[in-house]
Amino acid sequence: MPRGLRYASGSLAVAGAGIIWIALLGPVIALATHLSWSAITSSLSAPGALDPLIISAESGALTLAVLLLLGTPLAWALARGTLPFPRLWEAGVLASLLLPPLVIGLLLVFMVGPFTPIGQWLGALHLSATNTFLALVIAQVYEAAPYYVLGAQAAFGSVDYRLEQQAALLGDTPRQVLRRVTVPLAAPGLAMALAVSWARAMGAFGAVVIVAYHPTGLPMQIWTSLQETGLASALPFALVLLVVALPLPIAAYIWSARARGRRRG
Amino acid sequence: MLEADVEVDRRDFTVAAALRVAPGERLALFGPSGAGKTTVLEVIAGLVVPRRARITLAGRLLTSTEPPVCAVPPWQRRVGLLRQDPGLFPHLSVRDNLRYARKRRSRPGADGELAGLASVLGIDGLLDAMPVRLSGGQAHRVALGRLLLSHCDTLLLDEPYTGLDAGLRRVLTDLVVALVTERAVPAILVAHELAEAQAFADRLAVLDHGTVLQLGTPDEVVLRPASRRVAELVGYSCFVRVPGAAGSVAGIHPERVIAGDQPDRGLVLAGAVTSCRPAGALWETTMRPGGAAGGGGAAGGGAGGRDCGGEVSVTARLPEPRAAGQQLVITAVDPPRFGPDGAALVPGYADLSWERA
Repeated sequence: MPRGLRYASGSLAVAGAGIIWIALLGPVIALATHLSWSAITSSLSAPGALDPLIISAESGALTLAVLLLLGTPLAWALARGTLPFPRLWEAGVLASLLLPPLVIGLLLVFMVGPFTPIGQWLGALHLSATNTFLALVIAQVYEAAPYYVLGAQAAFGSVDYRLEQQAALLGDTPRQVLRRVTVPLAAPGLAMALAVSWARAMGAFGAVVIVAYHPTGLPMQIWTSLQETGLASALPFALVLLVVALPLPIAAYIWSARARGRRRG
Repeated sequence: MLEADVEVDRRDFTVAAALRVAPGERLALFGPSGAGKTTVLEVIAGLVVPRRARITLAGRLLTSTEPPVCAVPPWQRRVGLLRQDPGLFPHLSVRDNLRYARKRRSRPGADGELAGLASVLGIDGLLDAMPVRLSGGQAHRVALGRLLLSHCDTLLLDEPYTGLDAGLRRVLTDLVVALVTERAVPAILVAHELAEAQAFADRLAVLDHGTVLQLGTPDEVVLRPASRRVAELVGYSCFVRVPGAAGSVAGIHPERVIAGDQPDRGLVLAGAVTSCRPAGALWETTMRPGGAAGGGGAAGGGAGGRDCGGEVSVTARLPEPRAAGQQLVITAVDPPRFGPDGAALVPGYADLSWERA
């Protein structure tokens, strides 16, 4: 290829990438340009203004704990192919990814609503899965789970099973192999999966608006502010949501990139 | 003592092998790719479930598919496996890889042993390096060191030197041979290169399509292959009809051929040189036998020396170059003979005048 043509095509590629990058960041840039410090302070200094943040952070943390506890073994089993009918299991995970969140919310009502067997069983325990903190966590789990399970499955799948065999032959029990080889090698991918699912849980809205209108988390606060007092009053909460949701994914990305870099040299 | 009698079903055939390796003995499993060699090692290591097996190591029953049924898990077998891929843990330094085996930690003098072995392997300057920084040869040495430091009861080596230069292969082979002897542990090497198997083994098992075709010392296998298939696998490059013995053929090995007419040492072949090219210090000369030569075992020739029909080309490694078209007389030294069914004709050499003098 002639040098001039190579230079032109290279420049074109960089320009195209730059345009896409700026377009993707456009909403964040718009948020920054439309917010004033006084609007932020007045919105967030009102009594109870930070309650949605606390609710979202608590429910998000609980969602992550549930995903870690239940999603990690499922992801490991999917990656290692130890489950019978593995495609069926994968289809189940993909279904919750492919269903629109709003539809998930509707279906959750039919599944865990107060007049369903599960709802009645929860009622006997003085619990409810509609318009409660529990409902919020359930909705977030449904919206975030496929992102974590599929990400964790890919992370476990990237670990060479022969390394695990080698560790076993060197005397490690399966639990020790998991602790000393599998998890350390899958950790960068697991961290990314967890961070993405955190962001997804924090921003969960579609299912939440159906089954957990109350208690009000950040996305619901943004929605109600928008509905009741307009766009300007919703923007400070959007900023708070970004500030809470994004640092973990960014930190996880930087850490996993460094960890992978150390192994690749 | 390692005793393994295994049968494993594979997609297209069954791997069946009965091996017995004494303490300090070195057995090479030799055969073409896909013959089932690695499968045998993986069954011994407990990584593959056999259809039928009975495996004992140092008096311990590791696997038995018949009552009392037994399947000791890999982490309790004390079996060391080194593969072609060194399999170093990428998140651990060389030192931590070497220390990996748990039992090493509580062993007195462990650090001294590690340092000593690292020095012998030439990796003492790399102990703090990460595996990604190592060359292929260095990674193999670390993997070998990790295996030796695990103090397992048997060593299983699955083509561990593939991709390494000849010098390093020799060094590592010598080291393993010395340590196997010193520690008196049985060792099995899987190899698809005969030279590698010969350099390592006391005994050679030829495996093809899941079946052990011959088990013997390297010399026995190479000089007296049990069948034509074994002869093909150990390097006999062509087979010529033996006059006067209906359907029987003699195997010609390129490295067991001498120039000249020496009927007392083997089968004499005469013909025209078709090509000649250097092969190390020798010349790989290919000739097409054009007529019977003297001696007790004239063979080959335009009548079609190869038993399968058509013209035969005989390759010999000779000390001097030959021009194409030049007439050449060679003697295949003490060639093995095979019947129409491919089985070796033993005894049978006494029937022929090229019986070893």
